[in-house]
Amino acid sequence: MVRNSVHATRRRILATGAAVSAAAFAGCIGGNGEEQEATGDILDPEEYDYDREEPDDEDAARESTLVYTQELERDEDFDTVVSNDAYSVQVANLVFDSLYEFDYEYELQPKVAVDFPEVERDDTRYLYEIHEGIEFHNGDELTASDVAHSFTAPVEEETPNISTYDMIEEVEVIDDYQLQVDLEHPYGPWEMFNQGVSIVPEDVRTDDPEAFNEDPVGSGPFEFTDFEYGEYVELERFDDYWDEPQPYVQHIRFEDNVDDASRVSEILAGDTDAIGDVPNDDWETLEDEEDIRVHVAESPSVAYIYFNCNEGAGTADPNVRRGIAHAFSATDYVETYLNNAAMPLVTPTSRITNELWDFPLEEWEELYPDYDPDLAEELLDEHAPDDWNPTFLAPDDERATLAERVATRLDEIGYDMQVQTMDFGAMLDQTIYSDGDPDDYEAYIVGWTGGPDPDQYLYPNFHESQESVNQGHFYEGSDDFHDNIVAARESADHDEREALYTDVIEEILEELPALPVFTEHNSMATGEHIKDVHVHPQMQYNPNLVHDGANVWVDDE
Amino acid sequence: MGLLRYTVYRFLQAIPVLIGITIITFLLANLAPGDPVRLMLAGQEVDEELIETIEQRYGLDRPLYERYVTYMAGLIQGDFGHSIHRNRPVTDLMLNRVGPTLLLVLSAYAFALVTAIPLGILAATRRNEPTDHVSRIVALIGVSTPSFWIGIMLILVFAVQLGWLPSTGLVYPWRGPDGYDWIETWPELIYQTIRHLLLPMVALGTLQMATLMRVERTQMIESLQGEYVKLARAYGVPERTILRKHAFQVAQLPIITIVGLNLSTALGGAVLIETVFNINGMGRLFIEAIQQLDYQLIMGITIVIATMFVIGVIITDIAYAYVDPRVTYGEGE
Repeated sequence: MVRNSVHATRRRILATGAAVSAAAFAGCIGGNGEEQEATGDILDPEEYDYDREEPDDEDAARESTLVYTQELERDEDFDTVVSNDAYSVQVANLVFDSLYEFDYEYELQPKVAVDFPEVERDDTRYLYEIHEGIEFHNGDELTASDVAHSFTAPVEEETPNISTYDMIEEVEVIDDYQLQVDLEHPYGPWEMFNQGVSIVPEDVRTDDPEAFNEDPVGSGPFEFTDFEYGEYVELERFDDYWDEPQPYVQHIRFEDNVDDASRVSEILAGDTDAIGDVPNDDWETLEDEEDIRVHVAESPSVAYIYFNCNEGAGTADPNVRRGIAHAFSATDYVETYLNNAAMPLVTPTSRITNELWDFPLEEWEELYPDYDPDLAEELLDEHAPDDWNPTFLAPDDERATLAERVATRLDEIGYDMQVQTMDFGAMLDQTIYSDGDPDDYEAYIVGWTGGPDPDQYLYPNFHESQESVNQGHFYEGSDDFHDNIVAARESADHDEREALYTDVIEEILEELPALPVFTEHNSMATGEHIKDVHVHPQMQYNPNLVHDGANVWVDDE
Repeated sequence: MGLLRYTVYRFLQAIPVLIGITIITFLLANLAPGDPVRLMLAGQEVDEELIETIEQRYGLDRPLYERYVTYMAGLIQGDFGHSIHRNRPVTDLMLNRVGPTLLLVLSAYAFALVTAIPLGILAATRRNEPTDHVSRIVALIGVSTPSFWIGIMLILVFAVQLGWLPSTGLVYPWRGPDGYDWIETWPELIYQTIRHLLLPMVALGTLQMATLMRVERTQMIESLQGEYVKLARAYGVPERTILRKHAFQVAQLPIITIVGLNLSTALGGAVLIETVFNINGMGRLFIEAIQQLDYQLIMGITIVIATMFVIGVIITDIAYAYVDPRVTYGEGE
C-alpha cells in the first residue's frame, strides 16, 4: 500500500533545491521546437525481464494491497461485451476469466477451456470443452451457455466489438460444458486472437445490462467491490477462485492520472504504488530512484507514416514515397525522442507479431529504406512534381516531432514540406475520414495496435474496404494485393496465410503506401516494495497481478 | 427599482445571452472537424454500418437545426442530454464534477483575498519602502508565472522532496468520513481536505492574489491621497482609523469588479490545475469532452460555466451597492 512520509531530511531538502533548479531550467529552455540531437541508446525491453520473485512469508504476502494509477481515464465500461476502452478492460480482465488467455509470449493458452478446440468442417467449426465447477462471484456455475452468450452478444447487440465476432454463423450449446462455434467461413485470426473471449454470466448480464456494466460479476481472480464513477475502482481477491495460482494481492485500487508529470510525481511522492506508462523523458529519473523499479515489455503497436496515393499527390509515385523514406532516419528519431519508450520498426507488423510467424525478416530489413539523403535527393529530383510542396499532418503530440524531423531533413535536400499539427480528431477527419484530397495532405502519421495475427494490422490498415474507415492512403495495389489480404483472412491454413502475408508485406515495403517507423512499449513504474511485476505485451492485461508467469505481492517489511 | 426587481431584471437579461451562447457553442461544437463516433471507435476494425448504427442511436444522423431544437426542448425541461462517449446523462456527469471545481475555485479565491488585501494595504502604506518593493516583485512574479508551472513546482518541493503534502487528488468534505475507508472522524476529514487542497489552492490562487494585490495597492495609494483622507488627518483622526474607515472601503470597489470578472479566468485556470493535481473536476471533464467531440457534454458544461459567470457578474453588480451607497438600482431613471 502507498506509504506517506512527512520526514524532511537534509538530503531531501538539498535534493529539493536541485530538483527545482533543474525543473526551472528545463522550463526555460524546453519546448523551443528546435531540432534535438540524439541523446541516448535505445532501450532493450529484454534487459528489464526480471526474474520471478517469491515471498518468504506467503501469509503476509496474501495481505497485499496496492494502488495502481492508470495513464488514461477509464470510460467506466466494465462489461467486456460492450467495452472498447482498454483502461476499463484492464480492470475487467481481473474480474473475468477468458476462454483462452495470452501468455507472455503473446500466444493464447487454454484458461476456461480445457484444451485447444477440435476443428472440423474445413476449419469453420470449433468444438470447445470447458472446465467443470467454475463459479462466478455470485456462486452461479459458469456453463457453456455463458460462453456462447459471450461470443454472440456483441453481434446481437451491435456493440463496438461486433467486428470481433461477426464472422460467427451459429453457436450451439451441446451441454453444460461443451459448445460448438460455426463460422461463416474460415477465419485466420480466430485461433490466435478471437477465441480468447472474456466470459460473462448470461443471466446476470441480460437481467440488467446497464447495472452489469458498472457492477460486473465474473469468474476471475478478483471481485468488483467498490466503484466511484470517474474516481476509482476497487477489487478484492476472490477467495474461492477456481484456478492456480491463487493471487497474493488481497485488494487493488485503480485510479487514473492523465498528466505525465503529475503521474510521475505521484509515484515519486509515494502517493501510489504503481503507475502505467512511464514517459520517455522521465525514465532515467525513475530508474535512478532507489525505491522505484521500472518495467517494460514490447507491445503489438506500430506507428506508420501513411502516404496519400491518390492521383494528383506527389506521393502517388512510389519513388517519391521512397525518396521521403530515405530522407530521414527512423533510428535517429527514436534515439532522440523515444529511446526509452519505443524501438525502430522495419515491418508493417509489430516485432512481437513477427516472432510468432516465420517471416523472412532479414530480407525485409534489406527492403526497408535506410537513411540515405543522397538517394532521397536523387529520387525526389527525378520523380517529385515541379514546385512540390506537400503537407504532412500529425496529431499535436510527440508524433508531431517525427513530422517535423521529416520536414527538416527534406528541407536539407531542398524540398519544402509543410507540417500541420492538429487535434487528433480533426486530423482523423482530414485524413482517414476524407476522400484523400492531395491539397489537404500527402502524408500523415497514426499509430495502430494490432495483435498476434498479421491480419490485425494488414486488413484494417491496407485493405481497400477500409479506405475512409481506417486508412487514408488510398493505395490501389497490385492485382492480387487486396485479394491476398482477404484470402489470408479467410484461411485457417497457417502456411498458406504466411505465404500470402509475405507477399503482401513485401509489396508494402516496396511500394510504401505506409512506412512503419517505430513500435512503442508497454511500461510501468512500481515501488520497490511491489514484487514479481512483469509487464504483459497485451496492454489490457496490465497490471498482470496473477498469471502463470507472475503473482504480484507487496513486501511491507 | 428595488433590489429584488433589479435582480429579476438582470436575470431576465441573462436569458437571451445564454440562448446566444447555446447557439454559438452548438454550432462551434458540431461544425468543428471530427466525428465523435469515429473518434470513439478509432484504433479498432470497424465498418460503415456500425458507425451509422451508433450515429442513429445518438441522433447524429439528423439535420443540425433539428438536433438543436431537440436539444433546447430537453434543456428547457432540465435535460442536458446524454454523453455520446460516456453513455451517461450529462447532468449526472456534471453533478459528479462540479463540487471539486467549486471547492478549488472558491478556496483559491479565499486564499487570494486573504493574502492580497493585507499585502496590498501594507505595500500602499509603506510605499517605496522595501516591503513595497518585495510585494510588487511577488505580484509581478505571480502575474507572469503560469499556474500549472507553479503547481508543478509546488508538487516537486512539498510532495516529492519534502513529502509534507499529497501530490494529487482532493478529499471531499461532503462525502463525510464514511466516504473514505482511511478516514474515521470529521476533524480528520477536514484536516485531510485542507492538506489535499493546499497546493492546488495556492497554485490557482497565486495569479488572482497577484492581480488583486496590485489593484489593492494602487487603489489604496489613491484613496490615501484623497481630499477626505487629508481632511481626516487634519482633524487628527488616527492613521489606523483612516485606513480602516475612510481609505479601505472606497478602495474595494475595483476589487469587487475584478473578483467578479476574474471568475472566468479562475475557471480557465482550474482546467490546468485539475490536470496537474489530478482533480476530477469540471475543467478536466470539459477538456476531455472537447477532445472526444462529445457534443452534449460540451454544451452542458459550457451552459453551466456561462451561467456561473453570469450569476457572478450579477452578484458583483449587486455587491456594489452594499459597498458604495452612491450606487443605486436605477431609481429616478
